Order: sequence, then C-alpha cells, then structure tokens
Amino acid sequence: MIEEPYRWMEAIQNRREYIDLQLATGSAIVALSCPDGVLLLTVGSDRQKLFEIYDRIAMGGIGHPGDLERLRMKAIEVTSVEGFTRSSLDVSLRRLVHYSLSSMLKEAFEQVYGAPFLVRLLFAELGRDDAPDLLVRLDYDGSFKANGGVLSGKVEPFAVVAGQPRSAAAMEEYLRGRDCSSATLEEAKAIALDAWMIGSLVAAENRGAEEAAPLPDEAAIARHREKVLGGKAAVEVALLDRRAKTATTWRPLSFEETESPARPADEEAEA
Amino acid sequence: MMEISGNREGMATEDFTGLLKRHGALGEPLTYDGGPTRGPGLPQTEATTILAFKFKGGVLMAGDRRATAGNVVVYDRADKVLEIDRLSVMAIAGVPATAWEMARMLEHSFQFYRRSQLQEMSLDGKVRALSKLLRDNFGNVVQGIGAVIPLFATYDEAKRQPRLYFYDAMGAQFEATDYAVSGSGSPAVRSVLYYANTYGPRPLVRMNEEDALLLALRALDTAAESDTATGGVDRHGRVYPVVKIVSQSGVVTLPERILIKAYQRNLVSLPKHTPKFSELE
Repeated sequence: MIEEPYRWMEAIQNRREYIDLQLATGSAIVALSCPDGVLLLTVGSDRQKLFEIYDRIAMGGIGHPGDLERLRMKAIEVTSVEGFTRSSLDVSLRRLVHYSLSSMLKEAFEQVYGAPFLVRLLFAELGRDDAPDLLVRLDYDGSFKANGGVLSGKVEPFAVVAGQPRSAAAMEEYLRGRDCSSATLEEAKAIALDAWMIGSLVAAENRGAEEAAPLPDEAAIARHREKVLGGKAAVEVALLDRRAKTATTWRPLSFEETESPARPADEEAEA
Repeated sequence: MMEISGNREGMATEDFTGLLKRHGALGEPLTYDGGPTRGPGLPQTEATTILAFKFKGGVLMAGDRRATAGNVVVYDRADKVLEIDRLSVMAIAGVPATAWEMARMLEHSFQFYRRSQLQEMSLDGKVRALSKLLRDNFGNVVQGIGAVIPLFATYDEAKRQPRLYFYDAMGAQFEATDYAVSGSGSPAVRSVLYYANTYGPRPLVRMNEEDALLLALRALDTAAESDTATGGVDRHGRVYPVVKIVSQSGVVTLPERILIKAYQRNLVSLPKHTPKFSELE
C-alpha cells in the first residue's frame, strides 16, 4: 500500500499527527543569549533535560527519553570524534545539525515501516569572539530553524521549543519584547522562567490553535509560577559560560542560588 | 545503570577508544619491524625531567622545557606539564609524539565519559585510564620507540586530599606519598627532594607555596647542571619551567613573572653585574 504515492503521503500525515500528539505535553525549553553566555532553562521533576554536548554546544529536548538519549549520544559522538581527530575549533553546531542529525531524523521519519524519533530538540552554540550565538530548533522530521539567517544577518537572541506550536509562538512573542543585551544572569533567568510560564499557560488554554489571544499578564504569570513551583516541579538551568577560562563552557546552575561569575581559583592565579 | 542510558546497540558502555575505532578515527599504532636503519639507529626526540610533590596547598608539578634527540637540543619551549581536566594534571617524560597523543586521548576520554554518562569519571577510573594507554603502548617500548613514563596528579574530592601517581613503561601505577620524579634528570631531582624532605627545615607536605616553588626550580636547575638533556631554569633566555598546582579549587598554572621573582630573589650566585665589552679592555 505504501508504494502508492497517495498512501505514502497519508501514512506520513498520520505519523505527523501521532508524533505531535505525543509531544503536546512536553515541558518547553528556553534558550536566551545574554552577556554571561547562553542560558538554557526548563521546568521538570524527574529527569535531566539539558545536556552538555561539546565544549561550546548544549542541547535540550522534549519527547521520548529513549529517543532523546540516542540523539544526545549521536551528537556527543560526532562532536567528540571530530574534536579529537581534527581540533575543537572544527566542531560546529551548523555541521552537526546539517550533516549528521537532520538527515538521520528525516530518514527515520519517512521510513514509514520503522519507528520515527519522538523528539523536538533545541541546540545552542556559544559564539566565538564576537560572533553571535547560534540557536537551532530541530524537529522530528529533520527540519530545522536557526535563530538568524546567514543571508539576512539578523539574529534573534533567543529560541524556544515547546510541545505545541501556539505555546512556542506565545513564548517567542514575549521574548521578542524583552531586551537581554545587558541583562544579568539573575534577570535572564527570570525572563526565561516567565517565558516558560507563558508557554505552559497557553498550552493549558482551551481554544483552537489558530485563534490569537493576548499574552497572559504579569499577575497571571506570577500565580502560575507559584502553582507550578509549589508542586514537585523544579527549574533546571544551565549556562554556556561566555566568561569561562577553560575550553569547556558548560555549567549547570541552580535556580535559587545567586551565581557569582568570578571563581576563586582564577583570582588566586591572577594574584 | 548503563543499560538505561544506552541506545539500541548498547554503545553507552563503550569507551572513547572504542568510539574512535568504530569511526575509523584511531590511527594504526606506531610500529617498527626491527629492520635496518641507517647508522646507529634513528635518534628519537625525548622530553626530560619532570617532578611533582605534595605541599601544603596541594600538589606542585613542574617540568623543564627541553626536548632532545640524541645529543641535539630539538626544542627549548616544550610544555611537559599538561592539564587534563579541571582537577588533573599529567607530566610527561619520554617521546613527545606518543606522550602528547596520550594526554590528548586522556583529556578527550574523561570529557567523553562525563558528557555521555552524565557523571565525572571516578578517580580510580582516571588513574587506570592512563595505565591502559601505557600498556597499549608497550609493544613500542619493547621495540625501542615511543617509551613514555608519566606522572599524574589529581585532587580526590571524595577524600578531600590531593593524590599523586607515577607509572612504569608497562602501565603499572604507583601512588606516591610525598614526591615522584621521571626523566633523564630525575636522579638528581630525586636526591634534592629526598634531602629537602628528610633534612630540610620542614617536610615537603608542610611547605608553603613560595618555598615549594623555589625548591622545584632549584631541583630542576640542579638536574640541568649535570644532565645535558635537562633545560633547567634558563635565566638568560628567559625560558622558565612550567609549574602547575593541583588543589581543591582546580588546576592553576603559575605565571612566569612569579617564577622569575621567586627564583631571582633567593639566588645566591646570580651575577649582579655582567661587565660590558668596553669595560674589559
């Protein structure tokens, strides 16, 4: 039956609906470019969802834990082998997504007899020197979208992935109205968390995907924050540290503690 | 535990060497079939004289900068004390071609483990990883090429104390209580450290950083006095040894100006005034 083009398209469409349904309840992930680096934030309770991939690359994802794990391992393997055989300077997110992950996802998605990956991924790469940070959303069908165009030269300093398109749209709308270009780490954390709360509120609203609605106001966000964090959910935060003096820039952060960017060991060395 | 994080092929238990092999990224090991060479044999580049000892602030590890091949000085700015991760340093004596590759392999292995397994490799695991690299290299050692005798220092976060290891060419690991040395100048360095530890004003482990640094520089200089393969402390060319300290707060490389200051302040025989050519006439 799959040999007929129409049947194939139908099978693909079914599979798309199935995967969208599976991903719909996923907890959104926010990436924010700020002076301290790239901040990644999500809310969860039982398992880690933000990961270090390489010296300057991090990943977050929603979807099936088994599929996330396979793609995470694939990304770590590809970057580690490249970094070892050539140099860490040769490892790039663009190459990882374009040449390795995208084609792998597309192939699994379109092989209708096999299992697709039930995932939606967010990758972040800390820009070298003055280059902007690269944030890439990679979907289960292998399609991806970066935060800025090589052609347009315009770069958005944020990216989100969410279980539902309308959550992502609302979060993006909120983040577009915020300026993180001089935000401290604490401010960036608060902005990212508010964006997550908006995504979560919008996902819970009882309306059609096409209907536009105003963003929730501050009071509603605060109420929702209290409700979510009052339960067993916790905020997971990590930073690709722009000020890191080591090649590795990944730093898991705790949400409650105020972080000081300077580390004592470095100060001793300067003294 | 491993199976949970594994993918279908169960590759999560695979180490970094296995990964490189699977990707065909691991070069064939250096081999030499024992056939004829021209002259008395191919001189190999070697890096010499490293030392490490525990002091009050952790482990100090130092190495001179000279690399030689036979009686030729190949390089006078070799870095033999290499940072492997946030808490570990490896110092190398032997053939740099093999040693630097081992250091790179070790660094990538630890990072690959942390990233893939979502936890740091244990201290025992790290110490054994170097042991395994040495054992894998032993075929070369027997053939007379590529011998490496490293030192490894790291901070044990569980026991809250610095740890120091030395190895032999077959990969046996030995934990040092006070100090460890390797390389062609090591007999002299070992004697200096033994003397300081036994008959000095205080044992090495109770020395402060300034005294420890001075002792390390003097030990290397002493080795260079009789061993041509050791660069020592070259105060004319301003090529100073590499000195790193491993402690709870991580690895710190001492800046050259601190080395210069420490060395010159207490140097008895540093010429105060070198006569100019015109003054000699």
